[in-house]
Amino acid sequence: MLKVIDVCKRVEGHGDVKILLQNDEISLVNFEFEIYRGFENFLIGKKLLDIPKIVSRICGLCYASQAIASCKAIEHIYNIKVSEQTVLLRHLLMSGELIKSHSMNFFFQTLPDLLAIFDFSQKTLTPYELINYDPQLTSNLYELIKIGNEINNLFGGRSVHLISVIPGGVIYSPSRKNISLARKKFQNALNNLEWIIEKFIELFSNQIPPKEYYFPHFIFVGLSNSGNYDRYSGTLRIKENNKNLIEFEKHNYSSYFGKEIDLRGIDFYFENKKNVIVGPLSRYNIIENYGIDEIHTYLEYFNKSWKNNILFANFIRLLEMYIEVYHGLQILDDPSLNKREKFSSLNSVRNLDGIGVIEAPRGILIHHYHLNESNSIDRIKLFVATEFNIPLINEMITNYARELFEITGDINLVKKNVQRIIRAFDPCISCATH
Amino acid sequence: MKPRFIIISLTSCSGCITTLMSLDIFPQFLERTRIIYFQFISDVKNIKDSDIALVEGCVSEETQITQLREVRRHAKKVYALGTCACFGGILSLSSSKIADPISNYIEIDGIIPGCPLPSKLFGNCLIRLVENKDITLSEKTMCANCSLKGNMKINSHINISKINPNPEEISLDEENSECFLENGILCLGPITRDGCEYKCIKMGLPCEGCMGSVSKDFTSNLINYLSLINLSQELKDYVGIFYRYSKPKFGRG
Repeated sequence: MLKVIDVCKRVEGHGDVKILLQNDEISLVNFEFEIYRGFENFLIGKKLLDIPKIVSRICGLCYASQAIASCKAIEHIYNIKVSEQTVLLRHLLMSGELIKSHSMNFFFQTLPDLLAIFDFSQKTLTPYELINYDPQLTSNLYELIKIGNEINNLFGGRSVHLISVIPGGVIYSPSRKNISLARKKFQNALNNLEWIIEKFIELFSNQIPPKEYYFPHFIFVGLSNSGNYDRYSGTLRIKENNKNLIEFEKHNYSSYFGKEIDLRGIDFYFENKKNVIVGPLSRYNIIENYGIDEIHTYLEYFNKSWKNNILFANFIRLLEMYIEVYHGLQILDDPSLNKREKFSSLNSVRNLDGIGVIEAPRGILIHHYHLNESNSIDRIKLFVATEFNIPLINEMITNYARELFEITGDINLVKKNVQRIIRAFDPCISCATH
Repeated sequence: MKPRFIIISLTSCSGCITTLMSLDIFPQFLERTRIIYFQFISDVKNIKDSDIALVEGCVSEETQITQLREVRRHAKKVYALGTCACFGGILSLSSSKIADPISNYIEIDGIIPGCPLPSKLFGNCLIRLVENKDITLSEKTMCANCSLKGNMKINSHINISKINPNPEEISLDEENSECFLENGILCLGPITRDGCEYKCIKMGLPCEGCMGSVSKDFTSNLINYLSLINLSQELKDYVGIFYRYSKPKFGRG
């Protein structure tokens, strides 16, 4: 058996594409990671107050999500209800993070692929070539990256590994000056996004996406607040083949999926185990109503051939940035944002299990901590979005690679095109190699 | 001729790379330099000759040593980017994983510390590197310009009983707040290099030492410091703060 390995380019972190060839046929293609850091092990015995800032270091793109999911798990242990101000500030921090993450992925990683796939460019453009290809598009996108950064800076104390996020609340009392600055940033972002979304529609809505990016059977997993878009609170939903819907509280997640400590990968307890997808496309399928007219209008530009295609995630990411900015502007006008309440003290442990669930930019993120009888952490399970998506990614790239290799016999072409499918999922390898 | 850059990640969260990519000057950086290797945004597979290599992340795997040596061979200058590359970083908390600074394996030409890299410091350093100038870091500790009242000198009368202030005690009134040491909260400011713009202090939290120390390695500074102040018994057994950004050079027992 021949093994061909290629480093996956233009993704966050280190991932390898491993192709197994047997008798001149591709038998398996896997997206694999070499590094495993072991956060679930070395967090054991650490003080609860220290954990959010340690887990933030799992990922330099999903830092807010990691820290906030951790705070939620700790608040569950102490049975604390955080203030309305805290919830609003956490929403703003998660929005800043999502805007930065989605716009970076689009600009640096997937836009060059989209332009090549639909023949707008002869080759995959480098970021420098991209700047020259469409200066307006790139400057609008780059402005979004900076806006996401600045929102995190304003409300988190810095743009990565936020200082303000602690169990029990968010350290901050927004000044009028900062709120008006944030409003200006969000308004700019909204204008930029309208322009970018319309550009995306103009470029791609009349195209037919290639079939290799199509995913036929699937189970969506995501968070929803009574059918509405809400990445912070709500209940978990599983939707199979766009029909059967199961809704359950976060503490029941182990009836549907689980994991063994030390072994990477999530076990699903459904009949069709392989085709779980989380992230923007999953949220799009789970949410019944975005509550913003413009979003529904934008969605109408794309026909059915796009909706079950992983390339559609690129458009959904743009729409999600729009939704977050739209909600962000509403939060800045909410009187509760200025209503400072005292932090609840973290004195008495009420639950030995603490579960925090949120939707990170790339999908469901669950932190589950267990305390022993002396209230010390003895078990930690972290479920991250990319781990959920890996079986589906591997199935899609294996099927596609087999077919392409059979037709062309060109292993270099297989390596190149398989990576495009991987990038369309926007994997976060730092998170997945926690 | 445009300066040629290699930008590479070892074991890390990618936070220093995303800090680079979200700097105001990043588009100008792309225009004024030639990117030889930058896996995050470029398809180039092989490391080739370059002027400057920026390395993010610590060494935790054998294969990274080979890669690191290849980078050294191809770059005229190599800089460690962020606390993981400079001192080992967050993975130092693990007792089973290696978390080595890159300088354990190759000679380096400088460090830019921080977890994450402070944007202002990093932006200034990057401009200097593009202009083929050396970078300089502050030689002062955090206490030199700290705005908190008191600013205690290290002595045996400092009684420390807490690592973190209780959430309800956090004060945002920077100008009227007292030195953390005065209130029995461990602040690593006295042994930590200045340059982060006091971001934690401004949020009412003590310095955790992510910038590393001005001289010697962080652990020996930390041990000296802790031996000079009076730590409560509970803190002597505290797991998780002292190895947060750097592993000690001796075994951990």
